[in-house]
Amino acid sequence: MKKKRIKKALVIRYLLLTAGMLIMILPMVFMISSSLRPNAMTFAYPPKLIPSLSEITGENYRYVLGNASFFQYMKNTLLVAGTSTLLVAWIASMLAYSISRFQFQGRNLLYRAIIMTMLIPGLAMILPQFELAVRFHLIDNLWGVILFYTAWMIPFSTFLIKGFIDDIPREMDEAIYMDGGSILTVYRMAILPMASPSIAAVSIFNFLFSFEELAWSQTILRSDRLRTIPVALTQFFQAHNRTDWGFVLAMTCLSMIPIVLLYILLQKYFIAGLSSGAVKG
Amino acid sequence: MAESIKRKTKRQDPRLLILLFPGILMMGLFTFYPIIKMFIMSFFDWKIGFNQQSLFVGFQNYRDVFADPIARRSLVNTLYYLILTVPAQIILGLCVALLIVRITRFSVTYRLLYYLPVITSWVVVALLFRYIFSNDGLLNYFLADVIHLTNGSVGWLSSRWPAMTATAFLGIWKGIGWNMVIFLAALQAIPKQYYEAADIDGVNNWQRFRYITLPGIRGTLLFALVMLIIGAFNTYTPIAVMTEGNPAHQTEVVLTWMYTQTFDSLKLGYSAALSFIVTSMNIVIAVFLFRAFKAK
Amino acid sequence: MNSKNRRKGMIWALLIIMVAGLLSGCASEEPQVAGEPITITFWHNYDAGAGQQEVLNALIEEFQAENPGVVIDPLYLEWSALKNNVVAGATTRMLPDVLRGDIGFVPLFQSLNVLVEMDTSFDDYAKAAETIMDAPNSTAARGEHFYGLAANTNTKILYYNKDLVSTPPANLAEMWDIAEEISNDDVTGFVEAWMGGWNLCQYIWSNGGDVLSPDYSTAEGYINSPIAIDVIQRMADLHEAGAFNGPSIDPGAPGDTDGMGTGKYAMTIDGPWKAKDFATKYPDLNIGTMQMPAGDADSIGVLGGENFMMFESSDDAHKQAAWEFIKFMTAKDAQIEMAKVGQMPVNREALNSQEALDAMPLLPIFAEALETCRTRPVIPQWGDVSGIINTKATEAVLGLKPVKTALDEAAKEIDALLAK
Repeated sequence: MKKKRIKKALVIRYLLLTAGMLIMILPMVFMISSSLRPNAMTFAYPPKLIPSLSEITGENYRYVLGNASFFQYMKNTLLVAGTSTLLVAWIASMLAYSISRFQFQGRNLLYRAIIMTMLIPGLAMILPQFELAVRFHLIDNLWGVILFYTAWMIPFSTFLIKGFIDDIPREMDEAIYMDGGSILTVYRMAILPMASPSIAAVSIFNFLFSFEELAWSQTILRSDRLRTIPVALTQFFQAHNRTDWGFVLAMTCLSMIPIVLLYILLQKYFIAGLSSGAVKG
Repeated sequence: MAESIKRKTKRQDPRLLILLFPGILMMGLFTFYPIIKMFIMSFFDWKIGFNQQSLFVGFQNYRDVFADPIARRSLVNTLYYLILTVPAQIILGLCVALLIVRITRFSVTYRLLYYLPVITSWVVVALLFRYIFSNDGLLNYFLADVIHLTNGSVGWLSSRWPAMTATAFLGIWKGIGWNMVIFLAALQAIPKQYYEAADIDGVNNWQRFRYITLPGIRGTLLFALVMLIIGAFNTYTPIAVMTEGNPAHQTEVVLTWMYTQTFDSLKLGYSAALSFIVTSMNIVIAVFLFRAFKAK
Repeated sequence: MNSKNRRKGMIWALLIIMVAGLLSGCASEEPQVAGEPITITFWHNYDAGAGQQEVLNALIEEFQAENPGVVIDPLYLEWSALKNNVVAGATTRMLPDVLRGDIGFVPLFQSLNVLVEMDTSFDDYAKAAETIMDAPNSTAARGEHFYGLAANTNTKILYYNKDLVSTPPANLAEMWDIAEEISNDDVTGFVEAWMGGWNLCQYIWSNGGDVLSPDYSTAEGYINSPIAIDVIQRMADLHEAGAFNGPSIDPGAPGDTDGMGTGKYAMTIDGPWKAKDFATKYPDLNIGTMQMPAGDADSIGVLGGENFMMFESSDDAHKQAAWEFIKFMTAKDAQIEMAKVGQMPVNREALNSQEALDAMPLLPIFAEALETCRTRPVIPQWGDVSGIINTKATEAVLGLKPVKTALDEAAKEIDALLAK
């Protein structure tokens, strides 16, 4: 009897989830199907969600993949996103460890400043930041994007990782100190492995952010060989008078592959890493 | 006791500098310095260009912001967007999480598909939504020609409130996945024993949710609330792409207006002031929320 | 104790090395080596869709072949990105050597003190300017001096869908009447892409009015004159009747090109690029063209186009090479090549050549329109003035405010801006 009820509840669950999911992925389906249709037909009326078989064409993908620049853009984007994600993982975990474990002068001030920066609209600082980028010769340089992304992502990441480290018991630290280890040893041997789920979780957020950020990279990256995917996409449809939709959508679909892969790869840690003290309050 | 002694000795450890230095350097240089500079700029009629003198104007920029009907409207629009998107994202994200947490098969697939909107480029989905809500778009086609609810083109993007609502739909749609993940994490952290004990007591689903789940995710709720409110104040792309603030700045939000004032009108002091007003609002809201949740 | 201090010292040394490394790594200045090619950074907004970037690339190759030692590095930036990047670069001198952009950029950039005063910097400026039509090049002047050289020119003409409009209008009043007549659920008679100065000046001018006083000191009595009020009132009435719309008035409405192409809009007044857009994207469209219909006074269009500009941030060698490139781009051959992809020449010889005429069948209509067209006020605040006109006129057209109230407000806001 009870088993039956549970089974029924489960069916309802799946039905609701599937219904919701269909609504959620509708725009994505439209995106993918439009990327498979000829350019001129993207926004035809009446709209078509599923292209008829005769309409399907790989033309857009052939164009994007045949264009050598696409791989260059992808390489740049992965380089930017990968490097800044790794840098943040390293820097933020050290900061989080220090703030979580030690009482030092200015600790509270530092932590408050980190929280505060999360509350400031990012766009607001674009001009002073641009001046800095120029002063350090970072214009038209991938480092100009990487370093700024890193700086922007540190506060949120530190906040999340600190919350996670707060929950890690200190026995391990003490044991390492007993063996004569320094605070750096503790960081390396205890904190890094134990906090890795939360580092992985913020890394997904960070990778995603740096993978699709547009406003800053558009300001910094000028030459074609340095462009990232979002900049290339924007340039593409602006330069083409916003008409070549099929290409843009095909490029978008292709550019999502790395992120989807990363998500699938890390999704196990994703959930675990987010159930930390910072999130739970 | 031993621990506190340990901590005290470690506090003098110069190696702490190695841990702190990269973070402080990066943030100090690339965020703290620009923030301070922006704050200073907000008290000047800030000029750019070669050999230009900026004039100190006191609080004039702040007065200008409050006197500007478009700035006020952009604030109201931002709040409207916030009120629509924040609760909806939380509720829907939580619902999905509640549904997913109890299933075993295809759990990963559902998680991925619900998360897909989060990982799609803002610019591209905003363009898609502009098309969906346009006069000859997917939504009107569906309403008129498929289910015959309306007789043609409803101007979803044509005037202020419908257009703001349409952009909010984009915000909600794109945000559900993020909330789902956050709440999924929180739900999984609630000890199973609580539910088992409840089952023995024979409580119904609502009671389970009300007395076990909700208290268990209260912290996450606060976290999501604060993050989403910050996100709502940071909204730029949905508006910039779907309406461009048109018609006649009716659909402007704070960030689009700030951008226009910075780059089109070169009113840098004004934008800096606007930005600090928004920041202060964020801080006030965040502090209020923390207090409210702590008090409970 | 001793070892601890030593370790402390080591850590400090490490930190100092890190900082120094970072700073020196970032600040490494690349000295100009003699014999190395000079790279000219060129920002532009030549349209890729119309094939202009291919032509540009071919022209650059030609120029580089003629000028060994000079490399042109072109960068496409969309209209607003072009402006924003100059704005962002103005404080920091991160600017290109040459820019080809809207004629309206000249007063704006010049007010930032970033432009090269070209007539005093190059002895042969006058000679080069002579080969170019006076009206377009006058847009590069600020006071006594020239801060650019005209690149292309244009003005606007009437495009109409012959299937929807049977007899072309004889004057503006008739054009509005036709728009009203042919509008129905599927067709909007007239589309205006934006409501700023670029779009509205022509109607006010053609009816004998103006936007600003001749000395640009005030808008009071001009933008809110009875003539201007009548123009906007007619648009408001037409919008109410479903005969006048555009993507800035209604973000849900189709864009002007696509709407014209699919027969949702019947008429528009726009520049030469539209002919190219229609031909490439909607080859079956039965499009008719004519001079902008005359108002009560005349047919007075808006002079548009782009200028080449140079920046003070470049050194002398770059300036000289950039100037050579500008002269090359404004010479007859390059201008004819650009005419083939929709850019109207400013070079007198090119304008009168058979080749350009073959490439641009509409050239005679535009040449005629250019005779009577006027430039928008050449003031640095023009962008903002235009923005105010757009806001207020749109509010009036949407019926959010009575037309007179909206335009009175516009006059007040513009005057406050001009007073600065």
